[in-house]
Amino acid sequence: MTNPTISKQEVRFRLKSNQEYSQASFAGIVSLALGFVLLLNSYVPGDGSFKPAVLIASIAYFAFALLELAVWALIRNDLIRSGAIRRSTRMLGYVLLLSILTANVFVATMAFQLIKQKKSAAYTLAVYSLLTTLLVFAVSALNLFKPYVANGFLIGMFLLIVAAILQLAALLLVAKHADKAVMPRWMGLIAGILILTSVSGNLFALFLGLLLIAKLRDKGYSSGSKLGEVVERLSRSSTSMLGLLFILFLLTLSITSYLTFDYGLAIENNYSLILQSPELAYPLGTDNFGRDLFSRIVFGARISLAVGLLSTLIPLLIGGVLGAVSGYYGRHTDNIIMRILDILYAIPGILLAIAIIAAFGASTVNLILALSVGAIPTYARTMRANVMLVSTLEYVQAARAFGSSDRTILFKHIVPNSIAPMIVKSTLTIGTVVISTSSLSYLGLGVEPHIPEWGNILKLGSAYLETHAFTAVYPGLAIIALVLSFNFLGDGLRDALDPKLD
Amino acid sequence: MKGHATATGNGFVDPIAAIYRKMLLHPAYSLLILLLGAPVSAIVYVVLQYRKFKYGYKLIAEETRNKLLATGYRDKLLLEAKDQLIRKHRFFGQTVSTGQTELEANRMAEIKFKETFNHELEKRLAGENGLKFSFGDTYHRLALNPAFFTLSVIIGFPMYLLLAIYSMPYLKYVAERMVMSIFVILGVAFLVFTILYISPMNPAANLLGETATAEQIAAFNHLYGLDQPYFVQLWDTIRGIFTFDLGKSFAGNENVTAAIANKFPVTLTLTAISTLIAVLIALPIGIISATRPNSFFDYTFMFIALLGLSIPNFWQALIFILNFSIKLPWLPATYNPENWLSAIMPIVVLGTGLTAAVARMTRSSTLEVIHEDYITTARAKGLARKTVIWKHAVGNALIPIITVIGLQFGGMLGGAAVTEKVFNISGIGSYIVDKQFIPDIPSVMGGVVYTAITISIVNVIVDLMYAFFDPRIRSKMKQY
Repeated sequence: MTNPTISKQEVRFRLKSNQEYSQASFAGIVSLALGFVLLLNSYVPGDGSFKPAVLIASIAYFAFALLELAVWALIRNDLIRSGAIRRSTRMLGYVLLLSILTANVFVATMAFQLIKQKKSAAYTLAVYSLLTTLLVFAVSALNLFKPYVANGFLIGMFLLIVAAILQLAALLLVAKHADKAVMPRWMGLIAGILILTSVSGNLFALFLGLLLIAKLRDKGYSSGSKLGEVVERLSRSSTSMLGLLFILFLLTLSITSYLTFDYGLAIENNYSLILQSPELAYPLGTDNFGRDLFSRIVFGARISLAVGLLSTLIPLLIGGVLGAVSGYYGRHTDNIIMRILDILYAIPGILLAIAIIAAFGASTVNLILALSVGAIPTYARTMRANVMLVSTLEYVQAARAFGSSDRTILFKHIVPNSIAPMIVKSTLTIGTVVISTSSLSYLGLGVEPHIPEWGNILKLGSAYLETHAFTAVYPGLAIIALVLSFNFLGDGLRDALDPKLD
Repeated sequence: MKGHATATGNGFVDPIAAIYRKMLLHPAYSLLILLLGAPVSAIVYVVLQYRKFKYGYKLIAEETRNKLLATGYRDKLLLEAKDQLIRKHRFFGQTVSTGQTELEANRMAEIKFKETFNHELEKRLAGENGLKFSFGDTYHRLALNPAFFTLSVIIGFPMYLLLAIYSMPYLKYVAERMVMSIFVILGVAFLVFTILYISPMNPAANLLGETATAEQIAAFNHLYGLDQPYFVQLWDTIRGIFTFDLGKSFAGNENVTAAIANKFPVTLTLTAISTLIAVLIALPIGIISATRPNSFFDYTFMFIALLGLSIPNFWQALIFILNFSIKLPWLPATYNPENWLSAIMPIVVLGTGLTAAVARMTRSSTLEVIHEDYITTARAKGLARKTVIWKHAVGNALIPIITVIGLQFGGMLGGAAVTEKVFNISGIGSYIVDKQFIPDIPSVMGGVVYTAITISIVNVIVDLMYAFFDPRIRSKMKQY
């Protein structure tokens, strides 16, 4: 190589231990791939021409991909030569920031990471909270092209701008002050404002606010809060942060859609606009009743997230308590609880859900209950195994020697220390729940057919597969994106929370 | 009765008596053995009581007890217990009434006293004339008599069968798993039936239409036994499941078990084939990914696997139909048993999730095994990389993979309903979905329960495969 004094192993170590290096290659490759996908989509096989709008987007993605790969090569060069990234290379991050205008979050998040040399959990959270608000703003702004907008549209957009400005200010302040051991006291005010902006569903802002408050109260005495540690470890994997970004983007979008989106466009039939191809006013086209597919998918996110979260939370609580009791008390309690749960475990989740819905009828509430019941045994088993493991630890014996009651030991000492695998498990299963929800809706056994839910939209669209495939493709893509995000996040959380990897 | 098997030198009866004694220690098995060999148990009991009477067991016991009491042992125990309790209460700063402390101390002392007493008694009896007055020993003594042994085999044959099963670890394990599965199946039948029973739906009204009169509905309910009390219906259903006779379906008046027997093989064949193909594809991918962690190859395949986990079956099926049936007329869009080409898309769609899950599991479990010490040893010995991976690592990495395959197979069988609907396959899944709108109780019931039974059988096979692949589990099985 250029420097003969360092060995091959050392070069490899320098490259592998550098976060920006791997993130740059990831962002470059992903935007390159997206550029290709867009290029393929812009091509019209009928007359051999290209759709201009999609083609421009494709070119923009290619441009940023090439730029990103160039930066990647520079980083590589810097690392091999001096073991650190030079300032001039970091400056290029500002150029890459422009990619946010093309909604290329892959390059944009990388650019933010590149600009700042010393990254803290607070900085990462600030970047992501700003990105989330900007993305929601951009997607909501698409409504401007519609013939009319919702009543609350102007207020909603104004609030989003305010939130974005506040979060930008917070980002700048955090970048300047958060690294200090003791932050100035007025950062508490910033934290309060950030927590206020999180009512939009932007949980990044909430986490950031909590992190700042924790840091202020800590006054530099300890090495930092647990939340910060988890965020720091999570942010090492770009895919899991992007997954979280997409989930929180959808959450924010579905909360702000109460103001910025018009429900009428999603549910009222408009026979003059049946099966329109995608255009600016209807970015994803319209369905066979002339309803805007884009609005329908946005409103569908609400249902999918709500059903997914609820049908994960209910079995998490019930299964968690049963598993904890069963694992702690053991013997007969354990035997009875686990044998009863074995019965539930023997029936496949979907089949049990079908049986329950057959008995009580198809509705959203029944769907949530049906999906919850089937998931209880898996959570109980996970919790039981964890509790059994933790119960043998010495501090539990110590607590018992001090005369704590069983209940105190179980819920105060054991459960908090065996909750991490449950969080990972639940994140990974939300994806499955989202798939089950849409599958059951597709069969006509889930959410009521008049509600715009992704499975319902797909079901209607599948009838027009031959002529208007987009009506079935787009809702499917939305489902995949959400499920993939949860899976990425779950994988990242497992790596971040698993003490085995330390 | 503690572990001092009396060896009398009779090579045939001794092991049997040893097993008998061992089984008596286990509460569930002792009950079972006493019941199955009820006539033998009765004889043994009578003989035991007679022997106790003959040798003055009661007298000796009384004597021992009095002797022990005379030494003041009991009072000593009581004082000790009281002291212990008082100190404990003082440490925790608790205030407990004297009466309660007394009671507690008494209880503790009594337990200890009984223990010592039994020990003393046993010692004395054994020292005096080498006698033991336990159930197991009495049986042993009797069984040495060939006449009794022959008689007991005749009248207590089931008991000896149980003894035979218990003496062989594998057989015992299989039998225990079978019994558990039967309980699970009973539970499933009970659960599904109860859910359908308390359903507010009214199949009669749904089938006969809105114009049906009250008499018509009553006649319908009478015909299908829906007017019977809960337990009668439950019993009929459970009996029906085990005798393969669930009666006629509400709609179409067809024999439910016959219909299920027609549809089940279709689903089972498709899922079995796709499991096989999925495993064949996923194992090499996972192992290669694990041998080159964090390489481009690894990232790409694991991303594809995650994508495979995230695609809903029905969407994937629709996209396949769109691309391979509509845009490119390569494969038929609907399934037809005569045309094997039409089975390709359903098999691929069904197998995607399993392939992804198995590949991910293979990677992580192989990675875990590769970092074990014995692999380092194998490398240090100078074995080729290939040999180390395929001979030493993969075998041990297989165990969690088998678990995942078993679990996913069950999920696939249940989730096949969606894929079957899209490709218009007349399998068990689409049968249940079609019948649930009424709801056709016997059909839904039969479909769900027979699927659960199949999954239980698969799980038993998976558990047995553990023993096959893992010597650690095999040796553990022998010990317990």
